Amino acid sequence: MGREVSESCVDNLLIEMVSSYCDRFYANKPELAARRIEAIGYQVGHQLSERYTMERPRFSDHLEAIKFICKDFWSEIFKKQIDNLKTNHRGTFVLQDNQFRWLMHMSIDPSSDGSGLSHDASGALVDNKAAQAASMRLYFPCGIIRGALTNLGIPCAVSADISNLPACSFVVRIKV
Amino acid sequence: MQFFGGAEINPSPPAVTASGNNAHMMYIFNRNGVCLLYREWNRPLHTLNAQQDHKLMFGLLFSLKSLTAKMDPTSVEKVNLGVPQLPGQGCSFHSFRTNTYKLSFMETPSGIKIILVTHPRTGDLRESLKYIYNLYVEYVVKNPLYTPGTPIRYELFNAALDQYVRGLG
Repeated sequence: MGREVSESCVDNLLIEMVSSYCDRFYANKPELAARRIEAIGYQVGHQLSERYTMERPRFSDHLEAIKFICKDFWSEIFKKQIDNLKTNHRGTFVLQDNQFRWLMHMSIDPSSDGSGLSHDASGALVDNKAAQAASMRLYFPCGIIRGALTNLGIPCAVSADISNLPACSFVVRIKV
Repeated sequence: MQFFGGAEINPSPPAVTASGNNAHMMYIFNRNGVCLLYREWNRPLHTLNAQQDHKLMFGLLFSLKSLTAKMDPTSVEKVNLGVPQLPGQGCSFHSFRTNTYKLSFMETPSGIKIILVTHPRTGDLRESLKYIYNLYVEYVVKNPLYTPGTPIRYELFNAALDQYVRGLG
């Protein structure tokens, strides 16, 4: 029923979107760029959740909705499910994806800068650059999750945790 | 540097090293002659420094492509000597073999040239080169941090490449 689009097209479009917002529109203001990207994700998640819950009954509670995000929603978008779901039963959920599709092809150039710095400092600089690049690319999926949950009636805040790439965790805090 | 009159006229091809890498070295050039990647797994003899080596390799292939296109007995077009050809024009050569190594070559329509030097008993490597080009597209072109035309220094690509080459025939 649905029409298909090439994955390379979508990948390249997302890469260009993030780099446009970070390097051109809000060149020295990463926070504004991040908010803009997250807002775009919010709209996308809103509409995608409409599409993917068309024939389902209403969700009985928050856990059911989160499980829908982990299984059906994630498989529609990334062709796999969330690998690990943790909760503290007080409104915070951690969704962990061990091989996040949009970060799988990203790796850094270890000698790109820091040629004049000492070895330790250049290592830290390179890690920082990689962390910044990865976190910029995660605002879009955070927005998608937030938009989807808000459309299902669950206002929340979503952030991403990149302590060990390519696995990444999305922390969902439901506003009570 | 051939020594005539030595006891070994036909040296046997080098045995596969303990690390299991079956290839000697690999180059990737873009259409402007910039060497995007040079990987070396097993190369006992270094005759030139790196810059000259890359220039020599690029020049060699440029001339070989031109020569093979001009000498094509089945071609009906008449092209003037020395006119540079677009990628894909004319016939395309894909390997040459000496008694100690085999050089396999692939050029894509975008001008990316992949050269792989292996031991002389290797079979046809065209499918392998296409797979390596696929690795390049996945890990380099689709990497958001890569600027086209600059040398490739990415761990993911190098690791995937090493792993694939280790399993080559």
